[in-house]
Amino acid sequence: MTQRVLVAMSGGVDSSVAAALLVRAGYDVVGATMKLFHDGGEIPDRPCCSLDSVNDARRVAHALGIPHYVLNLEDRFGHDVVADFVAEYAAGRTPIPCVRCNTFTKFRDLLAKADAIDAPFIATGHYARVADGRLHRGVDEGKDQTYFLWGIDRPVLARLLLPVGGMTKAETRAVARELGLLTAEKPESQEICFVPDGDYVRVLERELPADAPALAPGPIVTTDGRVVGTHDGFARFTVGQRRGLPGGSAEPMFVVELRPADRAVVIGPREALLGRGLVAREVNWLVPEPPAIGAPLAVRIRHRAMPVPGTLVRRDGGEVEVALADPAAAISPGQSVVFYDGDVVLGGGVIAASRRLLPIRAA
Amino acid sequence: MAPYFDTRFGNPSSTHRWGREARAALDEARERVARCLGASADEVCFTSGGTEADNLAVLGGWRVLKARGRAAVVSTPIEHKAVLQAVHQAQKEGAEERMLPIRPDGTVDLEAARRTIDGDVALTSVMWVNNETGVVQPIAELATMTKAAGGIFHTDAVQAFGKVAVDARTIPFDFASVSGHKLGAPKGIGAFYIRRGTPLEPLFFGGSQDRGRRPGTENVPYAIGLATAMERAIAEREAHWRALEPLRDALEAAILARIPDAVVHGRGAPRAPHILSVSVPGTDSESLLMALDLQGVAASAGSACQSGSITPSHVLSAMGVRADLASAAIRLSLGALTTADDIARVSELFPALIQRARGHVGAA
Repeated sequence: MTQRVLVAMSGGVDSSVAAALLVRAGYDVVGATMKLFHDGGEIPDRPCCSLDSVNDARRVAHALGIPHYVLNLEDRFGHDVVADFVAEYAAGRTPIPCVRCNTFTKFRDLLAKADAIDAPFIATGHYARVADGRLHRGVDEGKDQTYFLWGIDRPVLARLLLPVGGMTKAETRAVARELGLLTAEKPESQEICFVPDGDYVRVLERELPADAPALAPGPIVTTDGRVVGTHDGFARFTVGQRRGLPGGSAEPMFVVELRPADRAVVIGPREALLGRGLVAREVNWLVPEPPAIGAPLAVRIRHRAMPVPGTLVRRDGGEVEVALADPAAAISPGQSVVFYDGDVVLGGGVIAASRRLLPIRAA
Repeated sequence: MAPYFDTRFGNPSSTHRWGREARAALDEARERVARCLGASADEVCFTSGGTEADNLAVLGGWRVLKARGRAAVVSTPIEHKAVLQAVHQAQKEGAEERMLPIRPDGTVDLEAARRTIDGDVALTSVMWVNNETGVVQPIAELATMTKAAGGIFHTDAVQAFGKVAVDARTIPFDFASVSGHKLGAPKGIGAFYIRRGTPLEPLFFGGSQDRGRRPGTENVPYAIGLATAMERAIAEREAHWRALEPLRDALEAAILARIPDAVVHGRGAPRAPHILSVSVPGTDSESLLMALDLQGVAASAGSACQSGSITPSHVLSAMGVRADLASAAIRLSLGALTTADDIARVSELFPALIQRARGHVGAA
């Protein structure tokens, strides 16, 4: 008997090809598009969730001869992803909603739907691979999406198919063209799906109370404790940002910390961004045996950055501390840290703090 | 219908012989539709379907009585979106929107209606048979109340026609909407009944067709199709009800026997027998619909938006159904082609799928 697989189809080229490859491989393929938020006409053309995208996915499914359903996950996505996104900014951190979307929505919620239709497998169009029960980086270095996948439940791996993970984006497009899929030439989007025009502040303004400290004026303070100006809300700033800061310094200044306690945006020279290690929370391991204390790790602190050498120095429960062989810049709380052993994703977590090279003095 | 797509292609507004031929056919279709509604031919106009008829009724009635100083529109929260959104549009145009409360069994609260429908009401619009629960509303009482107060009474009879007697001679409604595709006519044709003497402002302008109430060249073949479908629906109405009711009752009994905590919506109220709306605690309609469809059973849930995503039913919410039950609702529809074997199959399959769904919900 053929095995059933529930494929998450966003209406983009990657998941279209993923579905097509599974059909070709003989699976009993069922397509589903997850509607994650109500765009209210505000976001006309998005990689997912817009009416056009749902229609694209439906037409691809029809062309492939597979059933297609729309799953309304607006409430769950709003709760698991959007609310957390807002709370993180309000707490002075810089979140990555895609990580939580993968963990909660794309994989956990999708798996529950798969159970309901007796599908042993789920599939997506992510550039990553599952082999030997472990998550590996995608073959296409430029497209690898494992930075966003560290949070998924480890048991999901046994039921997860990632058909395009072994291909380059160019190969994916070639397959789409060869199959005549209408999504073959669809442009890429790297933006956050529920943030119109990349303007996340507008989302915060909509979701936070009018008097929220994160959007209220506060001081701009240097790392040596001098107040050099004011800003109109620390949530409008990101660690590592250079734009929009007061001039008048001999060297370029960067945001090095957001401090909700006194609503300060702390700025300093390039060296002040450096950290020799980090603390991560909500750590999730994707291998059966988490690395031991003292174990060497390849550490990635942002999407597309090459992993750098580090060592696990502390591990208690969901929290770990990692030392880096060479200092790294802009280790930003709220962003993800992902640990690798070669191509294999060991696990990851949310950056809680940078172990700074240079101290910051209180204002 | 067929000849009017082909050799008899005339425009009924043309005066030449092909035009006259089409005009004669259209007039005949209008006569037949009117007879089906207990009406005269001049009381019927053709629309593109139920949605247009509902919009024409609500907005056309509201706008004309607004000009005469009436300020309120009365409706219910369980209407089809075609009525609800038209009522919201009337509100934007200055109407005071008065929504009648719905009792837990799905019927309109007549006591509340008596307090609500007064001399300020321009129009009352209440659906005859609810499309999600099959519950039949007390249309005669509501029509009488509205007319006594000097307002216009409209009923969305899209689900009612062919199930209950929609007869303008016995029930004093002023406007009624009928949709073709619910009766087996093509999609894209509907009928709108306007009691003689009732004022109406058109939605469209630009022609004298349908006495200016609905300008635009008429779809002659579809009008003929609608007339035929309505005649057949009337001829089969009582037999259809007698055939469906025991099937619906058997399915309901089987589901309740195997799933004792299942909730049948509208149970206890007068119900048309073509719909069974049921919720099972601890399940969700989305997963059940997928599972049913993959087994070859086409069911529905609340209402699907354009993207196809399901939102919890506004009808069940208005009846006071708990949110978790509203988002678990499944609508099983029965029709002329439904057999006892079909019922037996779903009676087995549905509880089996429920059992599996209950094993998984909560693990999510």
